[in-house]
Amino acid sequence: MNRPVSRLAIIAAIIRKDLLEFSRDRLWMILTPLTLVMFTAIFWLMPYQVEETVTVGVAPGALGRALELLGSPGLRLVAFASEAELAAAVAGEQPDAPPLSIGLAFPEDFLLRAARGQPATVRVYVDALVPPEVRHAMTSAVREVAYTLSGAPLPVSLLAAEEVVLGTDRMGQQIPPRERFRPLLVFLVLMVEALALASLIAAEVSSRTIAALLVTPVRSADILAAKGLLGTVLAFAQAFLLLLVTHSLGGNTAALLLAVLLGALLVSGIGLYTGAAGKDFIGTLFLGALFMFPLMIPAFALLFPGTASAWVQVLPSYGIIQAMVGASHGQGFVELAGYFTSAALWVVAVFALGWLALQRKVTSP
Amino acid sequence: MSLSRTMALLRKDLQLGPRSPIFLWALVLPVVITLLIQGVFGGLFEPRPRLGVVDGGASAITAALQELPGIQLVRYPDAAELKRRVESHNVDAGLVLKPGFDEAVRAGERPLLELYFSGESLASNRLILAVTTLDLVRAVAGQPSPVAVEVVQLGDGAALPLADRLVPLLVLYALLVAGVFVTSFSLVEERETGTLSALLVTPVALPEVLLAKSGLGLLLAVLMAVVTLALNGVLTSQPAALLLALLVGAVMSVEIGLLYAVLAKDIKALYTLIKSLNLFLLAPVIFYLFPDWPQWIAKLFPTYWFLDPIFQVAIRGASLTEVAGTLLVAVFICLALVPVLWLLARRAAV
Repeated sequence: MNRPVSRLAIIAAIIRKDLLEFSRDRLWMILTPLTLVMFTAIFWLMPYQVEETVTVGVAPGALGRALELLGSPGLRLVAFASEAELAAAVAGEQPDAPPLSIGLAFPEDFLLRAARGQPATVRVYVDALVPPEVRHAMTSAVREVAYTLSGAPLPVSLLAAEEVVLGTDRMGQQIPPRERFRPLLVFLVLMVEALALASLIAAEVSSRTIAALLVTPVRSADILAAKGLLGTVLAFAQAFLLLLVTHSLGGNTAALLLAVLLGALLVSGIGLYTGAAGKDFIGTLFLGALFMFPLMIPAFALLFPGTASAWVQVLPSYGIIQAMVGASHGQGFVELAGYFTSAALWVVAVFALGWLALQRKVTSP
Repeated sequence: MSLSRTMALLRKDLQLGPRSPIFLWALVLPVVITLLIQGVFGGLFEPRPRLGVVDGGASAITAALQELPGIQLVRYPDAAELKRRVESHNVDAGLVLKPGFDEAVRAGERPLLELYFSGESLASNRLILAVTTLDLVRAVAGQPSPVAVEVVQLGDGAALPLADRLVPLLVLYALLVAGVFVTSFSLVEERETGTLSALLVTPVALPEVLLAKSGLGLLLAVLMAVVTLALNGVLTSQPAALLLALLVGAVMSVEIGLLYAVLAKDIKALYTLIKSLNLFLLAPVIFYLFPDWPQWIAKLFPTYWFLDPIFQVAIRGASLTEVAGTLLVAVFICLALVPVLWLLARRAAV
């Protein structure tokens, strides 16, 4: 009567059952699409470019064109015919003018006066919201223009142009907020699925159905493999979908997907652990959040300029996030090998922790 | 209804509360969210120029830079460390002032100005730091300025910086976590574990339980909203008006929490309800973030009616008289919710 059943068939049967339970869970059936929609909306609402120039109005217009010759890449000059028009534009009273918060009103004969070294007064119109460093920089810039026009030499010598910029010069090619946010959004989607898996496991543990399975031909290893696989597939699928709808599969797609897969495995391990260790639904969520916050830090660190601190670099998610960023910029497997190795080691450690915690729950009487 | 029994229940909740993860969430999350959101959004969308300095000889330029508002100054011990920090974009630019730099400038020796820029720094920040530094160097050289600069400020600053526009989100979050989460979870948890039924066979009546749970959420909501406003530096000179607006906000939050609690059959259903409907409650904050959007839409959401008085008083310094009309609508909504709650609570027998 006993027909031998393969382990794969058993694991597949458990996954089918879990998927059915997942589909009946109103919370996760609402939360999963809601999260996806929300994160996709956040992504597309984020600015897609970095505004790195200061727009300054100049009057009179002829002078604006002369000053343009002295222009800097961080400065965009808009010419106005008269000081009155300029002031109106800064005050927001000129609907046709471009949005402007700073205006420089030079006297009509400024060029002549400056060249002769005669004193002149320049009015700097600023909106109340212009930050103090920009106001100060504009007054400094006006003085510098006057010094230059009057022929006053710089009291210092300057570095050669090629020595001035350290690191890859990104002027005009800054990473927009949308790009900076992407790894964080992907990681949040992964974490939501980890919480879903944890909740599924916690419910089975508390109702003891997980232990009841062991009186059938199912072994504890089958249950663990099925849960781990389900969590990984669910998390990976959600993250993949997010990457798809946010047009983020560029760069080195294979490396990007490997990084996301490692992320899915990592959060699955966390799901196994929190599901087994949490006493109830709220306890599981709380435990999940305790893992979630530190794991999000490497993705948050991307939002800030500068290198992440050493302690951030040892967090389990650091390698995954860095590999995601590198892969998005087209880096290859060899360049990302270090990140992949550290991520894989963490995945093994966290998965083992989750596996052990769940095995204890499954096999304990 | 007995006040002493209500107080006894509230005392019990206050004593046992800190053991609950939700209680801890209500205390910790508003602080964490404030730091994250103000840090991330303040830094990402309104970046301030950061200048690293190595000063080998107490230069007047460093002293002047320290006095300048808006520029973050960081000192480094040597040029190698400064270049490393500039290259990794820990600062936007780095200035090396060797010993005797000021003297050399004054003597007309035209020393080398070692000003480095990070490749990742914004063009605008490079411009700001470069012209500011050159201006200070010219001042050290004692060159008379060929031009007088007069700064004219226009507008009354009616448009608000992003940091201020984020305050409604943060304060509403603090009110909702404490008022809605704590109140509803506490009630549903007691119902799920059966302690509520046990309580109701004693002389304790249902309204006393609801009042005690409300008190817990109310206290926590007001406390965390005040903490959030303090963290954002917007505790106003109108404390009475602000406290009243916060109190109304906390009452409405608690009522929404009670409503969720009577509607949800268990913790999981409650969590689903909260996660699904929170968007509706949080919706008004988006109109503060985008002031160009049609503002009348925000008025369709009940939370707007207490959030706007809080915003007006805390950020714009409005008086109680100025926000009284809006606040009255919020009070009316709170009063209208009482009979609805009572009916639902009785029908569900909590």
